Order: sequence, then structure tokens, then C-alpha cells
Amino acid sequence: MKLMIYAAALFAGMSLSIEGAIYGELGKSIGKLESSFYNFFVGTIILAVVLLFFGKGSLSHTFKAPKWQLTGGLLGIFYLTILIVSIPLVGVGLSMISVIVGQMIMSIVIEHKGWLGSSPSKIQKEKAAAVVLMAASLFLIF
Amino acid sequence: MSILILAAAVIGGVLLSAQSSINGAFSKQAGTYESTFLTFASGALVLFVGILFFGQGDISAILDAPKWQLSAVWFGVGYLFLTVLAVPKIGVIATNISTVIGQLSMGILIDHYGWFGGLQIPFDWQRGVAIVLMLAALRLIYIADRKSALQKKQAA
Repeated sequence: MKLMIYAAALFAGMSLSIEGAIYGELGKSIGKLESSFYNFFVGTIILAVVLLFFGKGSLSHTFKAPKWQLTGGLLGIFYLTILIVSIPLVGVGLSMISVIVGQMIMSIVIEHKGWLGSSPSKIQKEKAAAVVLMAASLFLIF
Repeated sequence: MSILILAAAVIGGVLLSAQSSINGAFSKQAGTYESTFLTFASGALVLFVGILFFGQGDISAILDAPKWQLSAVWFGVGYLFLTVLAVPKIGVIATNISTVIGQLSMGILIDHYGWFGGLQIPFDWQRGVAIVLMLAALRLIYIADRKSALQKKQAA
């Protein structure tokens, strides 16, 4: 049973690569910003339906939350548009490794500084070593 | 040229990581689906204005695009649902690590076979070693995260 959950998480990751590869192609025909817009627009519609049926939280919190908590969409645009540009140029594998390296570095910085509502914790030596290994693998196939 | 592209992709990862922390903070009070909805909706609004002024493509061509290309949005939404399903059962750490492994192996596979009509980059020994290094890095991250989770539990 637990194995099924791990398989689901694995499939979630595979979905990200498939999504990137397909949008790379769509970007060539309709435009890169336009592909990004398509994703966010249709995603909004799908999520609106999901919210109607399964939403348990409070969307109205949007107006009370601190403004920095509302910037997720803006950051998401940059992420997706960068991928749509990079995948046709360097491939999915290299793009994804770069993204993962960036994620890793940033999550260490966020935890270290205690930014964005996280509780500050020291940089662990295992994580520093992990970043070095990741950078090495990026260097190797670049 | 391609070093710039890679730097941009690394920055993409930096922004994604910031996004997940920000959405995590927002979702604590607003809810998971509400937080994702806000991400998509605000992204669509900003991009709409962006396309009006800077769009060089043709958004109306979306109607002529092959349906399999339009299906990409389901993979993005699918990612979200699978994560929401997995996190409570196996935890954030295991979910993230499994996700990254899926992302990497699928990325290398798509490159090797040139699936979806993109670049074809054959698997070679450098890519093999790169995967091994990435797996070793993930193992280290897993160990580090388990440790700090344990410390937090003891402190509480």
C-alpha cells in the first residue's frame, strides 16, 4: 500500500518533466508567454471547479494575508516561462537538474535565515555536501 | 549562450523554492486548494497583461494546437493532486525525494528518446554518472532532513 504512495509521488515528479517537455513544444507554435498564460488560465478554471467541490479553507483570507504571501503566482510565472525557453534549447534533463540545484540552494538559504515564516536552523553539512554533488553532476553533463 | 540558459533555469528553481515556502505560509490559514487557486489565478492575471504588451506569439493559435499539447495542464494539476495525496501518508521529505527522482528519470528518458518532438539527447556515461551523483545528493538531503525532523520532535 505504502509502495503505491511512493509510486504516486514518483509519478508526480514524472508529470513535471512531461509538462515541461510538452509546453516546450507548445511554446514553439503559439509563443512562450502565451503557453505560460494558457497553463495559468486553464489551471485557474480547473482549480475553481476543485475549490467548489472540495475547498475546505477560506479563500477570503487572501484579503487579510500579508502581501508577501500573495506573490506565489508571480514566482510561478517566472519558473514556468524560464522552463519553456530552456527546454527546447538544452533538453528536459539538464533543465530539470538546474531547477533542482536552484531549489536546493534556496531552501537551504530560507531555512538558514528563517525567511518566509520558517524557523531558522543551521546549515547541515550533509546539505552542503549535497549541493556540491548536484553542482558536480550539472557540470558533468553541461 | 547555454550557460546563461542554465543560470536562468537555476534561478527558476530558486524562485520555485521561494514559491513553495510562500504558498506553504499562505495555505496554513487559507487551505491547500485555495492557495493553489490563488497562485494560478494571480499568475493568469499578470500574464494576461504581460501578453497584451509583450506577447510575440499568437494566443488564438491555441485553438489549432494539437490536443495532446493542451493536455500539459493536466500534468501540472496532476502533480499537485498526487503531492497532496502523498504528503500526509509518507511525509514531506519522502514525497519531495520521490518527486525529484521521478522528475530526473523522466527528464533523461524524454531526452534520450526525443519524446514529444523536442530535442533528442542520447544517454551517455556522463549522464549516468550525473544521475548517480544526484541520487547520492538526495540520500544526503534525506539523512539531513530526517535528523532535523527528529531534533524538532525532541525539542517539542
